[in-house]
This record gives sequence, C-alpha cells and structure tokens, in this order.
Amino acid sequence: MNKTLFFASLKANWKLWLGMFLVLLMYISMLIGMYDPENAKGMEAIVATLPPAIVSAFGFNAIGYDLTNHIGTYLYGFLFLIFPLIYTVTVSNKLIARHIDRGSMVYLLATPNTRKKIVLTQAAFLFSSIIALLILSIAMGLLVSEMMFPGMLDIDKYLLLNLVTVAVHLAICGIAFLASCIFSESKNSLMVGVGIPLIFLMFRMLSSVGDKLSGLKYLSLFSFIDVPKIFSNPGYAWWSSGLLLLMTIILLLISVRIFDKKSMNI
Amino acid sequence: MIKVQQLTQIYKSGKGIFDLNFEIKEGEVFGYLGPNGSGKTTTIRNIMGFANANEGRVTIRGLDCRKDTAELRKIIGYLPGEIAFFDNMTGFEFLKFVGDMHLMKSNERRDKLIDQFELETEGKIRKMSKGMKQKLGIIATFMIDPEIYILDEPTSGLDPFMQNEFMELVDKEKSRGKTIMMSSHIFEEVERSCDRAGIIREGRLVTIEDLKSLKAMKSREFIVTLNTKEDAQKLEKSGLETHAMGKRKIKVHVGENFDGFIKVLSALKVLNLDVQQRSLEDIFMTYYGKNGGQHE
Repeated sequence: MNKTLFFASLKANWKLWLGMFLVLLMYISMLIGMYDPENAKGMEAIVATLPPAIVSAFGFNAIGYDLTNHIGTYLYGFLFLIFPLIYTVTVSNKLIARHIDRGSMVYLLATPNTRKKIVLTQAAFLFSSIIALLILSIAMGLLVSEMMFPGMLDIDKYLLLNLVTVAVHLAICGIAFLASCIFSESKNSLMVGVGIPLIFLMFRMLSSVGDKLSGLKYLSLFSFIDVPKIFSNPGYAWWSSGLLLLMTIILLLISVRIFDKKSMNI
Repeated sequence: MIKVQQLTQIYKSGKGIFDLNFEIKEGEVFGYLGPNGSGKTTTIRNIMGFANANEGRVTIRGLDCRKDTAELRKIIGYLPGEIAFFDNMTGFEFLKFVGDMHLMKSNERRDKLIDQFELETEGKIRKMSKGMKQKLGIIATFMIDPEIYILDEPTSGLDPFMQNEFMELVDKEKSRGKTIMMSSHIFEEVERSCDRAGIIREGRLVTIEDLKSLKAMKSREFIVTLNTKEDAQKLEKSGLETHAMGKRKIKVHVGENFDGFIKVLSALKVLNLDVQQRSLEDIFMTYYGKNGGQHE
C-alpha cells in the first residue's frame, strides 16, 4: 500500500464521508428518539397515515415492538442502506475510473509503484472508509439507544443485524469498485456501479410490497438483511455474512487483475 | 537504450500505430514529429506501459516497458500531452504529492524550477490557465531528476518566453547526459535541440533522420512584396524558381542559392520580405517530392 496515495484519496473524499456520517447520525438519533416504550402505538399511528404500499416498500412493517425491532424496521429498511450506498458508488468511481477518464491516472502510474499497488491502495481506502462509516454509525446507534433507553436494546441481536448489513455493504462496494476498474469512462462506470446497487435496492423495496413481486428479493443482495430471520436465527446471520465476505474478496481479486492487465488510453 | 520493436496497436476506428521500429540511444535527444492524430501519443503510451500493444514491444535497457514498470519508473520522467491533475489540489500540494509518490529526497530542484518558471503554486489547479498547468506539469516532470525524459508536446500552451525557458532546460539536461524523447508537431521545436528525429504519419514511421539532413530538406522559401509590377516581372524573369501570389507578391523558392537571390533583389525595390512558415506537411512534401504520390 502507498501511504501518500491513501492520504490523497482521504483528502479528496473526507467531506462526502463526513456528510454521510452526519446524515446517518441525524436519522439514527431521530428514529431512535421516536421510539416510545410506553406507547408504541404512537409510531403505529404515524405508519397508519402512510399508504400501505409505501409502508412495506420502506420496510416499515411492524414486527413486534421492542427497541431492537424498532431500529431494525425503521433504520435498516432503507436509511441505513441508501446513505452508505451513495458514499460507496461515488467514491468507487472517483478512485479509479474517473482518474482514467480524466487522464490524471497518469500521475499515479508514472510513479515507481506497480499497478497492483495503486489499485490495492485505492481499494484499501474505499473499504476502510466504508467500514469506518458503518462502524461509527453502528456505535452511535448503540450509544444513542443506551442514553435514551438504557438496557432496552438487545445488543446481541443489534450486532448480528449490523454484521449482515456491513457484509452486504462490502459486497456492494466490491461491485462498484469492479465497475470502476472495468470501465475507462466515468459515465459507464457510474452506470453499472450505481445502476446495479440501485436496482438491488429497488428490487428489495418492490419485493416487500406485494406477493406478485416477492420473487424479486432473490435478485437483490439487500435481501440478506432479513430482519426477522436474523433475529430468530443467528446461524443465518453468520453464514450469510461469510458468503458475502467471500463474494467481496472474489470481486476485489477480479478488480485488481483487470486493472493490472488493462490497456489505458491516458 | 529505448528500443521500439514491431510495435503495433490498432484502435477500433482502424487508426493506430503500425509496425514501428526505432531505437533511441543513451544521451540522445530524439524528436518525434508528426501531425495531430498521427500516433505520437499512442507510441508514448506504449513506452510508458499504459497501453497494451497488439504486437511488438518496447524495452528500456532490456526491461519490458509494460511489465517492469515499477523498476523503470524510477528512471523515467514523463510529461503527458494532455495534462490532467488532481483538481482538488493546489499547485504546491500537487508537486508535493508527485514528489512523495516518487520518494523524492530533496526539494531544492523543485523550488528552483518553481522560481525559474515563475509558477504561482498557491491557487487550486482547476482555476489555473492552460499555460500555468503546462508549467506545473513541466516542473512535476523535471523536479524528480530522471535519467530519461519522455515529453509529449511539452511546449504546447507556453508563451514564447516560457518556450525558450523550457528549451534551455532541455539543453541543460542534454548536457548532463540525459536521454530525451520529445514529441511535437512543430519542426522548429525539434530543430533546436534534437540530434535525430523520427517522423510519423498515419501511424507509420516515415523516416528517421539526423537533424542536419532534415534541415537540408526544409524548403527555403521567401515571400517578396515589390513596389511595382515591373519589378515583379523582373523577379519572375530572373531565373529563380518563383510563384506569383498576387500582383506584386511573389513566393521564391531559394534552395541553397541565397547569394543569387540577394543579388536579384538588390536591383529591385522590395517593400516586404517574409520567410515562408514551413509546416510539417512541407517537410513531408520535400521528403516525398512535390506530388506527394508516395504518401500511402
């Protein structure tokens, strides 16, 4: 890994990172604050005012009403998916494809570093920054819960849910990074690197709307974040995370190889 | 030192470079001349190991330019033709970044170059003018003090004063024994400091010549404007190779016959005397004869 490049990437992307973190922090605090242990019906009342299709699309289907379920339902149905996703797809494209498209890749490749080292450094930045974003957000969720409702969060379940969520985000990261390595034009890299994760998200939302579309869930990585299943079956959380991590590693290895062999017109 | 062998890279459009063979010697300044779109940059992309050739290869001191890149980059300084930087950086941050990536030990050379080219390093790169960016690129290339320079159209965007400053820098590096390859579409730029030049056209190497022989090929033409029609007629009948461009404006192909030309002019009233700008096309024409029939 090349430290100079790592810090240059950090400098180019920290604002977006911070933005996403603050947005997540806001939603985490807001949604946890909305939990009312005395009168969970208040939440149900809000949900009841929304059209049923929207309620299920955003995963707001009530599945029991303790704090852990509340978080799982309202945060992990959409918000905790979309904001890290925005970070992932934007940064993935910027780290490789955009440099090739613009020609600034020259200034990375013309230095005494192998292509492998360059691409691995960029991957290291991408993965470590998304992991940092998620872990800090998860920690903030824990902190806010304990401050507002001490002892009410089932920490084991909460961590299992996040294990799967992090694993899904890493796999998505792998896809976006691969797209960035394959395509030499930013617009193509974005089309695939943003398109596939967005389609996954759309499929997940559509699949929970009605039975007709429920088959779509098999076409989306986000379906691994199956809150009731994770809470009732810890084994599922472990093996699905393992599977997703394996997938991430394979995607990363392919990305490195493609970048190493690629012919660039820069 | 730099050996290009059977190098072929064909793009989807059918353009590209075809079976290039040439060698650049250690300590030599090699000009690489060709019109826009002739394949200069494609050749350089292969020397730098950015692109994958369809056939052939480039080696530097026996090392493969596509595979042994990390090793070779320690001795090569590269100036891209179309410079794109990291636009969120300031000029200074960029130079520091490049220096760190190259593990540059001292900043002395960098700071001297900044002074010499009068570069303002404070502003964001994205707001710099084209000439300013070109200077920044030149400094980033020369500050690492490489053994080999690969320069793709290095003076484009520079004003004449800075062009001169740059050519002096090239001369200085040449005297320090550096090997330099410099591409250009302007003959004069190559003429000044190159030992030899290769001419590429439509992806094929037309010729490699000593600069002396190339200079001899330049068509020496002057455009003379005379005071009266009568003088113009006298000039046309003088036996020199002439071509009327207007009633009193005549192009004279002088060749080596400067003395004869001056003697004829001395008897006439000359209002203006211009040197005909020679383009690369003219040199091709000279090389292939007037009809250019052998171009393909």
